[in-house]
Amino acid sequence: MMTLLSFERELATLYKELEEKTGLEKKELKNLIEERLKVIYKSLTPYNIVEVARHLDRPQTLDYIKELLTNFVEIKGDRISGEDRSIIAGIGKFNGLSLTVIGSNKGHTIIERLKSNSGMIGPSGFRKIARAVDIASNTFKTPILTFIDTPGARVSPETEKEGSVAALSEPIKAFLKAKVPVLSVVIGEGGSLGALSLLVSDRILMLSYSYLSVISPEVGASVLFKDRSMKKDIAKALKITSEELLNFNVINGIIEEPFTGAHRNPELTIQTVKEALQKEFELLLKEPSENLLKRRAEKFEKFKI
Amino acid sequence: MDIFKRKNRIYVPVITEEIAKETLIRCSSCGRLINYKDLKNNLNVCPYCGHHFRMSIQERINLLTDTDTFKAINSDIEPLDVLNFYDGAYYKNQLAKVRQETGFNSALITGKAKIDGVDVAIGAFSFEFIGGSLGFTEGEKIVKLFTYAKKNQLPVVVKFSSGGERIQEGVFSMLQIVRIIQAVDVFKEDGGLFISILTNPVYGGASAIGMLGQFVFAEKDAMIGLTSPRITQLAFGMNFSRELQSAEKLLENGFLDGVFERKDLKSTISKVLKIYTNRSLI
Repeated sequence: MMTLLSFERELATLYKELEEKTGLEKKELKNLIEERLKVIYKSLTPYNIVEVARHLDRPQTLDYIKELLTNFVEIKGDRISGEDRSIIAGIGKFNGLSLTVIGSNKGHTIIERLKSNSGMIGPSGFRKIARAVDIASNTFKTPILTFIDTPGARVSPETEKEGSVAALSEPIKAFLKAKVPVLSVVIGEGGSLGALSLLVSDRILMLSYSYLSVISPEVGASVLFKDRSMKKDIAKALKITSEELLNFNVINGIIEEPFTGAHRNPELTIQTVKEALQKEFELLLKEPSENLLKRRAEKFEKFKI
Repeated sequence: MDIFKRKNRIYVPVITEEIAKETLIRCSSCGRLINYKDLKNNLNVCPYCGHHFRMSIQERINLLTDTDTFKAINSDIEPLDVLNFYDGAYYKNQLAKVRQETGFNSALITGKAKIDGVDVAIGAFSFEFIGGSLGFTEGEKIVKLFTYAKKNQLPVVVKFSSGGERIQEGVFSMLQIVRIIQAVDVFKEDGGLFISILTNPVYGGASAIGMLGQFVFAEKDAMIGLTSPRITQLAFGMNFSRELQSAEKLLENGFLDGVFERKDLKSTISKVLKIYTNRSLI
């Protein structure tokens, strides 16, 4: 059975019954659950959305790459300190279009999550992003697609020793200099400086139940109140949902997930994302390539007083 | 554990007028009583153990620049509460209060000044203004400072002490980092010199910007890292040695050009500035 989120727990008994039922009864019960879910998902709080964004069954960067790209060849390592599996980068074909993909990947299973540090990006990950951007911009001259799904930058004795502070700016600098169109999609968690390292793009899309925030609601609550239980209030105050950020013109569009969340129908979600990407690239590639860098810089320059 | 012993505590309250009225202050590092006057005459450094207390922004400007040469620029840029941030209290009100208390509009003071006779564009973060955090106003002022310096062909000196992004300004505080990196890059590609001074503490996005200087110097007792040990503990339940984020450790790991006592900061910056401004261009 699927892991139920805190606001779905009222359905636990129904789900249990569902396993015992067969035939018409099962179908009816399934419909009942769907109806209930529809109602629940209509009024999710910002923190509920954070919970959905973190669901382990949501499609992740590697799933999108597997479904959407052919001839994918991975770019690994930062050539300085190591290979950070929280970042997946590589080149491939998307519908006949040569593309460079860079995304943060959390992993579904415990083993995967251990290998990828749950998508938390360390110094070698930041430098790998910069290296992939450089390859895309100067060698292959392909558009870049980024998938954002990270709780944030990794904090550990190792990352402090290897110098996260110095590596953080590398991807941002690289994207600001990339002479190719860049498209970003927030597919799950868009956590702080980790997300920022993949966000410097020409257009930003968000899945409907993803979030983008300067700080995770839990850490925000710790900093402001020394009390993690304030996370729900902080999630609301921070304005981190796709709808709010579209209103602020921080992002350019929302990709609607299946109404009960991407984790309940990964196939449909990936298909919807594919269609959105096709449209976006058509538009992006039509734009004249001169002044691309200037336009990108100006885009971020508009976030001022 | 050793690291929690009093002698290693680095978070130190600022010496306010209220405290100043009392004549004796206990050093939070060595625990000895210091005469207030002695402390002030010694650049807010404990005369016994050498612990560096925080300085007010005015003291900092006096320390780094030649007497009466500092002229503030863009000090009238007012802060903005785009999110209408409310977490039990309104950020608006917090801003109004801290602006009244400090007399500043933001956590960053920028201006032009002379350092040993050399003209510079200078910025200094004030930790007293919401933890020296980085938001709209601070982002705007840094961008403007680097643009001003490029136009007037001046080297830039920025003194950092910042907890990181201003949480109350949400994703917009994070986006300031992109703007700042862009402005610094344009400045540096034009041949501009950026000297970064890291003083206790420098965390989050501020550390990423602080590291962009061609010369990055830290003041003794500075803590520099991604998140502070306190937040790391609260947020991730993880303890790691404070020593890892000490300026001395960062120097050893190759991220700084030097760690200096407060009294030696200006002369060090001045040496770099003089070589830069007196070079024969090839």
